[in-house]
Amino acid sequence: MSPAPENGPAETAGWKQRLWAYLSDRVGLDAMLALGVKKRVPIHRTTVFYFLGGMALFLFIVQIVSGVLLSLYYKPSPDQAFESVQAIMSEVKFGWLIRSVHSWGANLVIGVLFLHLLTTYMMRAYRRPREFTWVTGLLLLALFMALGFSGYLLPWNQLSYAATNVGTKLVGVVPVVGEYLLKIARGGENVTGDTLSRFYALHVAIFPLLALALMGAHLYLVQKQGMSVPPRVAESHGGEDKVPSMSFVPDFLLRDAVGWYLALGILAALAALFPWELGEKADPFASTEIGTKPEWYFLFMFQLLKQLPGTIMDLEWLEGEMVGVLFFGAVGSIVLLVPFLDRGDRSRRALNFFAGVSVIFFIVMTAWGWFDELPLQIILGTSLLLAVLALADRFLQRGTPSRRALGVAAVLTVLVLIAAIIRELTR
Amino acid sequence: MGDEPESPERRTWLLGALSGAVGTTLAAIVYPIVSFLWPRESTESGAMNVVAPFKANQLPDSGGHWPPPFDFGGKPCLVIKTPGGEIRAFNAVCTHTDCTVQFQPDKGQFLCACHNGIYDLNGFNVSGPPPRPLETYKVDFRPTGTPGEEEIIVSRT
Repeated sequence: MSPAPENGPAETAGWKQRLWAYLSDRVGLDAMLALGVKKRVPIHRTTVFYFLGGMALFLFIVQIVSGVLLSLYYKPSPDQAFESVQAIMSEVKFGWLIRSVHSWGANLVIGVLFLHLLTTYMMRAYRRPREFTWVTGLLLLALFMALGFSGYLLPWNQLSYAATNVGTKLVGVVPVVGEYLLKIARGGENVTGDTLSRFYALHVAIFPLLALALMGAHLYLVQKQGMSVPPRVAESHGGEDKVPSMSFVPDFLLRDAVGWYLALGILAALAALFPWELGEKADPFASTEIGTKPEWYFLFMFQLLKQLPGTIMDLEWLEGEMVGVLFFGAVGSIVLLVPFLDRGDRSRRALNFFAGVSVIFFIVMTAWGWFDELPLQIILGTSLLLAVLALADRFLQRGTPSRRALGVAAVLTVLVLIAAIIRELTR
Repeated sequence: MGDEPESPERRTWLLGALSGAVGTTLAAIVYPIVSFLWPRESTESGAMNVVAPFKANQLPDSGGHWPPPFDFGGKPCLVIKTPGGEIRAFNAVCTHTDCTVQFQPDKGQFLCACHNGIYDLNGFNVSGPPPRPLETYKVDFRPTGTPGEEEIIVSRT
């Protein structure tokens, strides 16, 4: 690289051009910009789903900013935690806003990650050579759920205390190592102030550092391999390189920015209209209150645990909760290994079946756990199902049998939804 | 050394010594960290008995206000009176996922509100997900001079 010319055109150029040239010479801005311009984003029916990863990244940045702000007033001790969050909500200027943004943001980022996972699966973007992009992405999802879980304890209220008891107990039922893990997680036999310190350290230091490292790997892989083109799209255009595309900088990035602006608006509206509740201060010896539930993204596990009997088939060593934990462990492992299990048409059909069953399981359990009354459960469940069907619709070609099946399923779902709404209104 | 080729034994020995030294260093780093992560002794429950924060006659016969669970060695302890007048004590930690159960005197049962686990007044798990009965404690009374105002002493069996 040659040094910026001391005279000539640069002298007559504006200060912006001169600053750019100055920095380009020293930190290689030109090279970075060239990478962004060179990167192409394919344009097809499902391009919109390429925005989900960037959306999650944006929300993560919001979480870092709001989280760092909260840490200025938060005090991680059982005597002070609840009171400090109370002070944030009532005394600190805009404290309610920062905390509500952080709590709502946590929910949004996990929601976006679920959608990102589902649509990445449907685009089959995990195919060779992108196996590790999938694996790092799934680990990031697990890490964000762990961030949600650890952050949930920090306000030290009744709900968070119960959730931590249940969550750490589930770690404890893992065969052989469970009991050690439980003690390490709680910092003792019970959930105490030591647990709060541990969760605080995990939430503000360990998990964020891990997330940054994994995200670095994930983004490096995306950058190195470029955007994946769904096989069917490539086929219909006669080759991946024939699919129309736009450049990442500025075309895709500007569209990204519109999405981020929208997400910020939704987040601000949620935080302003529905400030996050604080509840009652945790009392380690009080009975757990009726109606205790985890966040929506853990509800499907919670609901299954509610249904499993104490012991399966009356076998004393086969406890229901252990079976539940091992079941979710097995499902998680299958999802993690999807890129390696997809080895042809037959295994793909099996995977699609597994994915369909998993999504329906998630929807049914979440709707079941969310509401107590059947019509409301059906309204929520069918609405979620319609949303997923609408997502899947973008991946199916017109006139194919699966598209027709999807149409029939959608019509049936709408009928059930209408019936449930009428039932609920006339009750 | 000069131009003489290094002997393979010497190289193997040096590599072994190096690996051993690095391994020792790693162990010296990992062992304190793992020990540091392991819970302190003081947080583990050790007490063998506890005096309930209320007297025997402060438990209502039916309905009324039931005293909430209290701390017994870090775990919530629930003391109840059966319709027959017997005073019993339980570890209120649900055997399913460690929530704290509540006494429902009108229904004569314990309910765990987390996953709807039900125990009877003997602490037996009768419905819902709990896999085992509640842990029962032994109840003794220490006279205070006034009849009825005996102290309730709860101890591990």
